[in-house]
Amino acid sequence: MLNAVRKLRKQISFPRIVLIVFLTAVGVFMLIPIIFLFNHAFKPLNELFAYPPTILVKQPTWRNFEQLLLSSTAGLVPFTRYLFNSAVISAIATGAVILVSTMAGYVLSKHRFHFKTMIMGLILISLMFAPETVAIPRYLVISGLGLKDTYFAHILPFLASPLAVFLMRQFIDQIPASLTEAAKLDGASDMYIFTKIIIPLTAPAVATVSIITFQAVYLDVETSTFFMTKETMKTLAYYATALVVNVPGVAATSLAAAIGLIMFLPNLIMFLLFQRKMIQTMLHSGVK
Amino acid sequence: MGSVTFNHVYKYYKGEPEPSVNDFHLEVADGEFLVMVGPSGCGKSTTLRMLAGLEEVSQGDIYIDDKYMNYVSPKNRDIAMVFQNYALYPNLSVYENMALGLQLHKVAKSDIDLRVNRAAKMLEISHFLTKKPSQLSGGQKQRVALGRALVREPQVFLMDEPLSNLDAKLRTQTRMEISKLHNQLKTTMVYVTHDQTEAMTMGTRIVVMKDGKIQQVAAPQTLYDYPNNLFVAGFIGTPQMNFMNGSIVSIDDEYYFDSKRVRLKIPPFYYPHIRSAKANLRQIVMGIRPEYILCEDWALESYSDWKVSAVVDMREPMGSNTFLYTSFGKDTLIVRTEAHTAVQAGDAITIVLRMDKAHFFDQESGVSLTAKGEYA
Repeated sequence: MLNAVRKLRKQISFPRIVLIVFLTAVGVFMLIPIIFLFNHAFKPLNELFAYPPTILVKQPTWRNFEQLLLSSTAGLVPFTRYLFNSAVISAIATGAVILVSTMAGYVLSKHRFHFKTMIMGLILISLMFAPETVAIPRYLVISGLGLKDTYFAHILPFLASPLAVFLMRQFIDQIPASLTEAAKLDGASDMYIFTKIIIPLTAPAVATVSIITFQAVYLDVETSTFFMTKETMKTLAYYATALVVNVPGVAATSLAAAIGLIMFLPNLIMFLLFQRKMIQTMLHSGVK
Repeated sequence: MGSVTFNHVYKYYKGEPEPSVNDFHLEVADGEFLVMVGPSGCGKSTTLRMLAGLEEVSQGDIYIDDKYMNYVSPKNRDIAMVFQNYALYPNLSVYENMALGLQLHKVAKSDIDLRVNRAAKMLEISHFLTKKPSQLSGGQKQRVALGRALVREPQVFLMDEPLSNLDAKLRTQTRMEISKLHNQLKTTMVYVTHDQTEAMTMGTRIVVMKDGKIQQVAAPQTLYDYPNNLFVAGFIGTPQMNFMNGSIVSIDDEYYFDSKRVRLKIPPFYYPHIRSAKANLRQIVMGIRPEYILCEDWALESYSDWKVSAVVDMREPMGSNTFLYTSFGKDTLIVRTEAHTAVQAGDAITIVLRMDKAHFFDQESGVSLTAKGEYA
């Protein structure tokens, strides 16, 4: 009994209490937008326009989502088309980036070949360009290849992801060379080593790359703006930003409230699924 | 069966002027336990990796069982390797780790089962075949790594410092187990280490390397008794062999070792070596192992010709022996004496340098004048 009290006393020191209170406050403060987002999406019209605005919803309703599902651009392209585009593009792009970056990372980390350092250098240099600076050349390439208004234009630019390759290579570098060498002596082919030994060990990095890529693709507006002239090829992110401008009047506010949550949810789910693994990668790669 | 031949093998790395392995020429007989030993960076691991097929041979040929191996891929060389950091596949169980090589070589399932279980029994790891490597201790992991090599039943086992990551007690134990395994299997083993104790205790033959070059190849005891050169003399043996600079002088048909402080008579059986040596006799290094410097009374009587006086700087009791670090002029001579010696630090003592067990080296080239295992 006395011991338990003493132990408790040791744990509850004054600086500790201050720290916990402070961190809780910061945490709650950072949660506010998310709480607001969730509540906002379910607010009826009168609450959406209430002044002063409230964070919590009083009479939750699905009406915003109903409206969103039924909404369309100029009465021609329905909301679901954008949703479909986004789903397809995000899924394919994420899968493809993982495939390409793990393979490139493996080769760059565990194989010896000519100009390896130079290739890695080029990849690192391309990390330094802000996307805006390459917007024009990228447009020229994509229109020159005749990829405008195709899904390829959505996916291909993301495929060459220097960040993903870099993260993968850093992570695979941690796997000791003797492991792949042992496998080689055991008679394993390169493909076998890659799929059965490297991939299972790089799960955390794969999780990280998935999150990064999914976010980038899912939230990307520029591709739709620059390369897509057909409305049917544009994505949900584009629709979300265009909504307020294109839809007249009060309806826009209600649609925006709902689409805000829809844009946010997949990211939240991805993060909750992979957060532990993601932190692991960041620790391993020395990238923060 | 598992003989290995290195025919003047070189390894050059880009950007390095000196080869990492320089004219490695050696034949390893079937069933031999060959240990390659040397300081880090001496090329011993590179040599092993060339034999394994993990590094390309820059020049020269490698044969296993008289088959030309230079361009054969590692998996087809019929070898198995044990790595310093175990290199177990973390996502596979112990059983799967051991079985993988056989599966990839398309061995029948029942046969795999048989071989894995037999190896597991031999290494006493049967009770954790289902565990993952992360659940095992270092010693257990290394046993699994050994098991993985064993089940392959290769012609040659390659081991790259397999004991370096184990603690001292486990190292001694595993050392014995590997020796025992070799006795049972009679398979050729090529073992790389930087630890001279491992080399001395395990090898049937030892290759001492330095700067990519073979310094000497000999059986452990020969290596200890008749080192070819200064490097081998200093590298093998703890504590190190004592060295003194001086010259060999000839007076009235007798040879003496002469340093500035003493002149000691060299026993006559050395004379032919000294006469035929192509060394500068004015610049000689004499080496004597600590056990051949004596300070006991009986020794002072029986070897009265070779007495010198020295001052004890430090006393190092090892339990079974005591080492006395004595200063003799500028040189420090280590004396190995009995554990309960009464000599204390600071004492001035008389010691005997047993010239009949001394080694003489050319100062310039380091080559021994007297080695080749010919003298008494």
